[in-house]
Amino acid sequence: MKWGLAARLGSVLALVSLLMAGMTGLYAYQVARDLLVQAAKDELMTATHVIARRVSDIRQDASRDLQLLARYPASLALLQGPPSSQGSQAEQLSTLFELMMRDNPAYFQMRLISASDYGLERVRVDRDGDNLLRVQGDDLQEKSHYPYVSDTLHLPAGSTYLSRIVINHERGAHAGLGQPTVLLASPVTNARGQALGVIVINMDLKGAFNRLASDLPAEFKLFLANQQGDFLIHPDNSKTFGFDTGRRVLMQDEFPATRALVEGQVSQVMLEANAGTHASTPMVAAFMANQIRVTSSDSAIFLGLAQPRSSVLNRSHALGLTILQIAGGLGLAGFALALLLARWVTRPLNTMSKAVAAFSTAQPIVGLPLSRQDEIGQLARSFDHMQQQIHQQFTELQANRQELEHLARFDALTGLPNRRLLMERLDNALERAKRTQTPLAVMFIDMDHFKAINDRWGHDAGDAALQWVARQLLEHTRKTDTVARLGGDEFVVLLDSPVPVDQLASIAQKLLDGMREPWFFEGHLCNIEFSIGISLYPQDGDTVDALLSSADAAMYRVKTASRNDFGFALQR
Amino acid sequence: MLTCATPFLNWRWLPLLCLVGWLPLLASADTLRVLSWPGYADADLVKAFEARTGSQVSITFIDSDEALWERVNQNQGQDFDVLAVNTAELQRYIQAALVGPIDTAQVPNTARQLPRFRQLGSISGLVHQGRVYGVPYTYAEMGLIYDRQQIKAPPSSVTALWDPRYRGKVLLYNSSSHNFSLAAQSLGHSNPFQLGTGQWPAAVDRLIALRRNALGFYTQPDESVQLFRQKRAALMLANYGSQQLQLLRSAGVDVGYAIPKEGALAWLDIWAVTRQTKNAALAHAWINFLLEPAPSQALVARQGLANTVAEPPYLHPKDRMVWLEPVENSLRRQQLWERIYSGDRVARVLAP
Repeated sequence: MKWGLAARLGSVLALVSLLMAGMTGLYAYQVARDLLVQAAKDELMTATHVIARRVSDIRQDASRDLQLLARYPASLALLQGPPSSQGSQAEQLSTLFELMMRDNPAYFQMRLISASDYGLERVRVDRDGDNLLRVQGDDLQEKSHYPYVSDTLHLPAGSTYLSRIVINHERGAHAGLGQPTVLLASPVTNARGQALGVIVINMDLKGAFNRLASDLPAEFKLFLANQQGDFLIHPDNSKTFGFDTGRRVLMQDEFPATRALVEGQVSQVMLEANAGTHASTPMVAAFMANQIRVTSSDSAIFLGLAQPRSSVLNRSHALGLTILQIAGGLGLAGFALALLLARWVTRPLNTMSKAVAAFSTAQPIVGLPLSRQDEIGQLARSFDHMQQQIHQQFTELQANRQELEHLARFDALTGLPNRRLLMERLDNALERAKRTQTPLAVMFIDMDHFKAINDRWGHDAGDAALQWVARQLLEHTRKTDTVARLGGDEFVVLLDSPVPVDQLASIAQKLLDGMREPWFFEGHLCNIEFSIGISLYPQDGDTVDALLSSADAAMYRVKTASRNDFGFALQR
Repeated sequence: MLTCATPFLNWRWLPLLCLVGWLPLLASADTLRVLSWPGYADADLVKAFEARTGSQVSITFIDSDEALWERVNQNQGQDFDVLAVNTAELQRYIQAALVGPIDTAQVPNTARQLPRFRQLGSISGLVHQGRVYGVPYTYAEMGLIYDRQQIKAPPSSVTALWDPRYRGKVLLYNSSSHNFSLAAQSLGHSNPFQLGTGQWPAAVDRLIALRRNALGFYTQPDESVQLFRQKRAALMLANYGSQQLQLLRSAGVDVGYAIPKEGALAWLDIWAVTRQTKNAALAHAWINFLLEPAPSQALVARQGLANTVAEPPYLHPKDRMVWLEPVENSLRRQQLWERIYSGDRVARVLAP
């Protein structure tokens, strides 16, 4: 297949238009997608902040409960009062604990622990399934070796202790046993500011966070890590509390970007996780540090929300589709436009090309877009001009050629066929005569005293005489005969169509008689005569040369004998 | 937990581990196939050994007792010539006939070892039916770390942990087995790893008393150092031994280190030769080589582990080690300890 200019131009233009549409679409899609991802990250970060705020709220609520209980008169009375009244005080506190725990499903356990007796629990209510359980007697445990007791006892009144988030291994903790737990505690102080005991609330970390996460879209994944980055909450439960089973699983290992967060360099980080476990489903995530302002062994926890990048990008699919459609439409329009443009450019060219191809001398170029004002019009006009020139020159050339051809075959002076044409006609006639077995006659004519005319009246007179002779010869021969001038004052008459031999003499005589007409040159009467030698085919030769020389010889014989007469080559 | 070589586990060993895992396949008569903990067979030492003996050494590193047991069992010990294992673990290898007796005459460098490591009979589990099954190589002991500001005289006995003067100032390690052994030591039992039926209530009482004396319990070295500093502890049972000592000292705490007269519970890694070894002579040469000064020094300098040829600066020649042994019933110890640790009183702890 040959690539025409139209195809080439069209395909290049179409390609360019498709490329432009494609590139624009791609760029728009990418920008839009990045914006979407960014928006998703911002959204995640906002959600993370909301969660963090609610975590704080939960903590503050628990703190308020603790303060209320620490200041509740029965608490202090139970710790320092006489044993006799302790029963009713314990009853009061238990009831209060139960009320609060019913109110707050995230409370696993509430306790009043004394500073004395190695941290013996004095009042304790555990959640056990759906029930609340008052723990009493031997089931009460000594807790002074736990930091939530020893540390809280050192706190001033009204402050709150927050434990590390751990798995609760304290046996007999009922619903809380083996569960992720955070403990909040406040000291119960007497008038002198001595801490006599602590109020402790065990919070159900998982339950609390599940309730928080339940408001989030389903694809949001919640992460929680402690100050060291150990996961406490993770969509994959086996990755939580790794330190508890001797295999730490760290946030900064799974999400390397959070390292800066753990090291305290930043307070929040947005990231895209697409390596390791996230290689198959890349995630977009927001992590933030939640500073803990109350007394705690951890000064911060890290909250994170993640969602699959694909779910973010799902939103961009519709957008991508629209962009694709627009880009596709634009591309097609560009394609069509390119084809039109290519046609528009090449059609006049094709027209011209066809017109030029059809150009010949006979047929002038038509249909050139001469009226156009652009480059194509200019080109067409140039073609037209060129064509006119060519036509003109061709006509001249043709005329010249015809003239040359005439000159080559006719005598310029007399207009009679010259020797060359005569020879051709002789050849043809001889051929025909041979074929048809018919006779043929050649008369060789030479003017008598021609030199005398030249000498006496000049060459103009000679020329005029020759012309007159030629006219006379033509006049006295048939149309079918050829009268030729061999050169000088020699003429030959070829009698082509068969003439009876006996009539030849009369024809020759007629020619001689024609000379008897008076001819004047510039007022002078000139007498012109000539001698004729006649040869015949087949008698006098069967070639042109033989016939001519026979006739010539006959003519000489006449010239030497008498002049102004005729004679046959073969004397009969 | 006690195989404290675990901290040396590092994932950077993994490629090497994978690589050397294949090497035994290429083993020839002049190849020594070693199963080792990271840090026991550094490349430069291995090269020196190869140069001297004209042999090839292929090392396989393991990072836990379980991995070690699995490796050796895989082909009835045929894949290895020599391995490092602790004395408590060694017992099951001997029982399964995976390791063979060692000809100490072929390990002349044992003469360089400290006397307590030469008296193999006194190290429980090393000698069976008169045959020696291991050469001690490295160890870590659980001494007592004390704050020199608060305790002027170094504690001499484990009973210091129960001393009411230090009430609420004692840091302990949260482990069932060791703590029962510790209680047994404080009660004067000759074998702290085997509690008799009648000895349990006393041990439980003892541990409840220990708990009541405790500031708290730790599990990790870093955690212990943090607790020690922040809560101004006076005394600590150093489960990680010298490692914790170094950490505390580098943290600027003025601490001392004491080995109680009852002896410090300690793990001891020994080199053992497999029964199926293809090159017993080379295996013995390897053990002998590692007792030379250079490898022994490397152990201290590079790994912070004690060697058996020189006393560490913080130990005295008279200090006694009580090498860990399998306990009589680890499940029961664990169950009781969980109750004790949760704060139960004696009636509840011993309840069925």
